[in-house]
Amino acid sequence: MQMESRIGRYYTAFVMLAVYLFLYLPMVVLVIFSFNDGDFAGGWKGFSLRWYLEMVQSPDILDALKASLIVASTSTLCSLVLGTFAVIATRWLRLGKLVTLFYANVLVPDIVLGIGLLCLFSVLNFPFGYKSLVVGHTVVGLGFVVPIVSSRFNQIDPILTEASLDLGATQWQTMRRVVIPLLTPGLVAAGLLVFTLSLDDFVISFFCSGTDVETLSVFVFNQIKNQIDPCINALSTCMLLISSFAVLCLVYLNILDEVVHSD
Amino acid sequence: MRFSAMRHHFTEHVPFVLAMPAYLWQMYFLIVPLFFIAAISFVSDMSSASWFFTLAHYGELVDKTYFKVIFNSALLSCLTGALCLFVGYPVAYYIAMKARRFKQMFLVFLILPSWTSFVVQIYSWFYLLQKHGMFSNCAALLHLTDGPVSLLNNYGATLLGMVYCYLPFMVLPLYTVLEKMDKRLLEAAADLGASPWQIFSTIVLPLSRSGIKVGLALVMVPAFGEFAIPDLMGGVKDMYLGRVIMEKFLQFRNWHSGAAVVMLSFLVPIFMVILLGVIVSMRKHLKTEE
Repeated sequence: MQMESRIGRYYTAFVMLAVYLFLYLPMVVLVIFSFNDGDFAGGWKGFSLRWYLEMVQSPDILDALKASLIVASTSTLCSLVLGTFAVIATRWLRLGKLVTLFYANVLVPDIVLGIGLLCLFSVLNFPFGYKSLVVGHTVVGLGFVVPIVSSRFNQIDPILTEASLDLGATQWQTMRRVVIPLLTPGLVAAGLLVFTLSLDDFVISFFCSGTDVETLSVFVFNQIKNQIDPCINALSTCMLLISSFAVLCLVYLNILDEVVHSD
Repeated sequence: MRFSAMRHHFTEHVPFVLAMPAYLWQMYFLIVPLFFIAAISFVSDMSSASWFFTLAHYGELVDKTYFKVIFNSALLSCLTGALCLFVGYPVAYYIAMKARRFKQMFLVFLILPSWTSFVVQIYSWFYLLQKHGMFSNCAALLHLTDGPVSLLNNYGATLLGMVYCYLPFMVLPLYTVLEKMDKRLLEAAADLGASPWQIFSTIVLPLSRSGIKVGLALVMVPAFGEFAIPDLMGGVKDMYLGRVIMEKFLQFRNWHSGAAVVMLSFLVPIFMVILLGVIVSMRKHLKTEE
């Protein structure tokens, strides 16, 4: 019994190898050269932490980092709270289908959402800055939180909640002691996903940030477009580390599937 | 008695109160902006009181330069979709069917780069391909070129950046479909004497059709309006819709005509994906009729 031809097998193996090489080659080079003593484009001049030191001393980078962290944590919190309440309350009202309204967010291209918000904020004279960034990132975040949390919610065995109610717990107690703990893996996964997405987002930040606030991604983009500061390698390595840490958290907590299967 | 009635009244309204903020948020910050863009693309001039309905902003787009821009974007989006499919399918197949206990490891390493900002991903290629970058230095060492050359600012670099950033969006839906597939079907086909190619083309491929559609949609729709990757990797030689949109809104402040381009960049790829879906299901239909 043979389900795969030899050619097919070799082809898949070859593509696998090539793709993973393709994915990691630039990242590895970037990380290695962030420790280079030499300048931006030259060859290897020896190991040094020079650019990391310079990075921590650069006020522009620190401001951008601060802005990114504030926006990412606030919008994660907002989308988690709003999204979870929406999922639970919609079910409570027996209108479960209504949550599919949020599934559309991921299908709207970032540039369309970014431009739409830019127009809306200008028309309403809404100040550009942290608030507008949080609003935009929360819209994107809801598009991930609601599907993940609601698919987790669907997996909850109704027997558990019925038992809890039968045994005399109030609806609030059932919610707090039974439903929320069962939702936790989904909440953590969604939270990590939204946090990294917000930290890394470029398009929406580009249109919604105004002139005063600059997030990390926008900062890096402007650097590439204009004059590249050699610290960018070190900064990129740090951003890579943060997102790798988030993914490793997912793996460690065994909740990677929540994210992978949610689309 | 009155207190309990009040309490009852209270709990009855709790779900509404809890659900409302998210729906309002969605309404104000997603649906209203989308409708606003759609609306102003049909309006002559919203700042004046005597605005009227017009198709002039769409009329402007019927023009040689815009045809070129739309063609560029459509070509880039199709090429990105096709390349991601050809490269991504074997990867998804391998992870779903053969990786076994390394499945999770492969998945993690696949999505890890995409969890980093795509500006950083592009920068990493920028760093490799630039004038004194590693590729150009290696080529110079091997005497393939005389002196340093920049490998940036060409179509290949743009396409490379696009595939690099969008590949995971193709692989994940394909993986999800292939993983759920009943492997016993493949064994049964092999037992009954089907060749490996027959198994693949008559069972695996048709059953993964929904994954292909989702993957193409996830790649091609955003790729059509992409502006940062062609801008950073491909230079300013070719114009793309994303860049036109950015310039119209941020430089020229011409919202009406910009909104028409946004509508176009949103509707054309959706139309393309639907068309693709129709073609795929038509072929299926024809096959069953045979």
